[in-house]
Amino acid sequence: MFNRREAVSRIAMMVGGAFTAPTLFAMDVKESGKFLNVDLFSLTDAQRQVVAAVAEHIIPKTNTAGAIDAGVPAFIELMLKDCYKVPEHASFLKGVNDLIKAKFLSQNQDGQVAVLTLLESNTKDLMRNYQQRRMKVGDNVDKETLEGANGVPFWRLIKELTLLGYYTSEKGIEASFVYQPIPGKFEATKLLPGQKSFQY
Amino acid sequence: MNINIDAIKGQTFDAIVVGSGISGGWAAKELTEKGLKVAVIERGREIKHIEGYETAMKHPWEFEHRGRPTNMAAEEYWAGMRTGYTPNEEHRYLFENDKQNPYIEKKGGFDWTRAYHTGGKSLLWGRHSYRWNKQDFEANAKDGIGTDWPIRYEDMAPWYSYVEKFAGISGQAEGLDVLPDGEFQPAMAITAPEMHFKNEVSKKLGRPVTLGRVAHLTNPEKVHTDLGRSSCNYRNKCMRGCPYGAYFSSLSATLPAAMRTKRLTMVHNSIVSEIIYDEASQKAKGVRVIDQNTMEVREYFAKIIFVNAGAIGSTSILMNSKSSRYQNGLGNDSDQLGRNIMDHHLGVGASATVEGFMDDYMFGNRPNSLYIPRFRNWGNDKRDYIRGFGYQGGASRDGWGRGTGMDGFGATFKESLTQPGQWNVGFGGFGEILPDPNNRFQLSKTVKDKWGLPVLEFETSFGSNELKMREDMMHDAAEMLEAAGFKNINAYNKSDTHIGLGIHEMGTARMGTSVKNSIVNKHNQVHEVKNVFMTDGAAMASASCVNPSLTYMAMTARAADFAVSELKKKNL
Repeated sequence: MFNRREAVSRIAMMVGGAFTAPTLFAMDVKESGKFLNVDLFSLTDAQRQVVAAVAEHIIPKTNTAGAIDAGVPAFIELMLKDCYKVPEHASFLKGVNDLIKAKFLSQNQDGQVAVLTLLESNTKDLMRNYQQRRMKVGDNVDKETLEGANGVPFWRLIKELTLLGYYTSEKGIEASFVYQPIPGKFEATKLLPGQKSFQY
Repeated sequence: MNINIDAIKGQTFDAIVVGSGISGGWAAKELTEKGLKVAVIERGREIKHIEGYETAMKHPWEFEHRGRPTNMAAEEYWAGMRTGYTPNEEHRYLFENDKQNPYIEKKGGFDWTRAYHTGGKSLLWGRHSYRWNKQDFEANAKDGIGTDWPIRYEDMAPWYSYVEKFAGISGQAEGLDVLPDGEFQPAMAITAPEMHFKNEVSKKLGRPVTLGRVAHLTNPEKVHTDLGRSSCNYRNKCMRGCPYGAYFSSLSATLPAAMRTKRLTMVHNSIVSEIIYDEASQKAKGVRVIDQNTMEVREYFAKIIFVNAGAIGSTSILMNSKSSRYQNGLGNDSDQLGRNIMDHHLGVGASATVEGFMDDYMFGNRPNSLYIPRFRNWGNDKRDYIRGFGYQGGASRDGWGRGTGMDGFGATFKESLTQPGQWNVGFGGFGEILPDPNNRFQLSKTVKDKWGLPVLEFETSFGSNELKMREDMMHDAAEMLEAAGFKNINAYNKSDTHIGLGIHEMGTARMGTSVKNSIVNKHNQVHEVKNVFMTDGAAMASASCVNPSLTYMAMTARAADFAVSELKKKNL
């Protein structure tokens, strides 16, 4: 006989891994009655459309694959859910909802680019404040300050996760780099004009 | 009483080795090659060489979170998170879950990284392999710190050579007293800005810079290929396990060497809870183990026992081995057991950007760095602290990751990130930590783990010598980057690091001159329990500033040679 978690794991495998780790984890919590720090995060379809559009602006499809081709929007959502906590969930959702309010998707390409350019410029100030707050918290004095405050700003999060998702994806690597998983040697070389980075 | 004689006979060996990490693997190899029937008792699960390296050949996109630890992993691997890399998705399967293997930080912080499986941390180590120098062995006596080492460089030199040839150490001979040369495989290559740095630092500051001496095969010899080992492929994914056996580990080298003698028995999933002491003979007669999965308790018997469970693990076994003769732990007449935890302190150094060299690049991913040997308190140099530090670091070109901090997005931005960015360079210090009897761990009197064994309570903090040294470690790194003409120098000295972060934990059962001041003698033999040997980090009486594993290897081979000769003389 196996326990409930195992049972759920097996069902999850049968239906193609529909449950992600935190969900199983949350079930464990419910079962054991113990409190564990599980932050639930998900996006609505409207929010997903904005995330996909912004990611595609950061890494557009050109003569090579873009962010959407490489599955970046779903990756962003997964990463936020599994690897980020409440402050980043809050700042990310705020950023997405602000774009929805500003009718981002109704604007033409130039309008969208203008909005994101402004967003990037504003984010620089936010990042400076964020870094200062982190420095203060660095001494372990007051973690609440950070937990309670806004996390890493939306633009910074989506830019970082878009780049991570794209440049480590199969399509992104194929489109961007000379992939050398088994180099076999190490040597100093000269960089030829226009030469792409080696990726290992 | 109903005794199963066969079972007892089946559990009797000439020697028992507790643990299969770097030093346990060497003990197994040496003892079996000298004719002994040996059981290696490993507390963790079995991992098979090559086929057990489950992430080794995965592509970046095959990691669900592209390597990053999830919130759940961060919670469960809370001590690992402090290292910044061990809970990474690529190699987390080889590190222990801290929540399931708790320890207590009673005073100060202690970072304890565990790897409970075949090969232990030999699968995960940094592979830098340096000999201690003459002064390292003399420093305690000269400074009046801790206990004098009862051995000197000359005692160790032949054993360094012995283990270097078998392990395969890539490096450059430099003829320096501070960093004695060894038996080297060819050194790895150096990039253009690194060569510039090396030349400028030598010219302007008189400090030598060399290639890291690392346990990687660069030109394998028969002794290596006979075991199926081959040359480094420069993937730099070592911590996932190397399918080429290119870096030295127990799995790639010592355990297969022991296995081919047909005198090795591997016992997995068996946590040694204590060493069984025999009052009449004043020797250990075996070990008691708890099966980590079934909780079954078993005993194994042997004439000699090598305790190689890692510094903290080995000492905790002695602490837990209580008898009427040794009520405070086996061999602990000196009350030194658990004291003098050392490590190398890190989290201090400097980084910079390099202008120019834009047409220089490299092919391959070098699993190595440059090394700058100790120069402080060496020769005529005299500081307001004692001992010294070395640096590891090097230069590389920015990758796509630079895009996060760059302005812009869109097609041009996307294209620009496909080419290498500017060069950057950084060096981090590895500082010697002095033995301090107040840096210690003890068995908890109240808290037990899931096997009913006492949880360990640590009390560790840096002393004033370490803190003073760190000022220099930061300053000197910046000074060298400046001498090389590098820009945007960022010198750092992290204040929130702990002992243990270097994962070079050592001390706690130190070698010394007498049963009154130490746990083991110059042969790594517990002073008055002569068939018990401790040859891992536990035996260290001081720390030097160089990476320690090569010294554990040499010390283990030396002690095994002594143990077998004593056994033949019927002294054990």
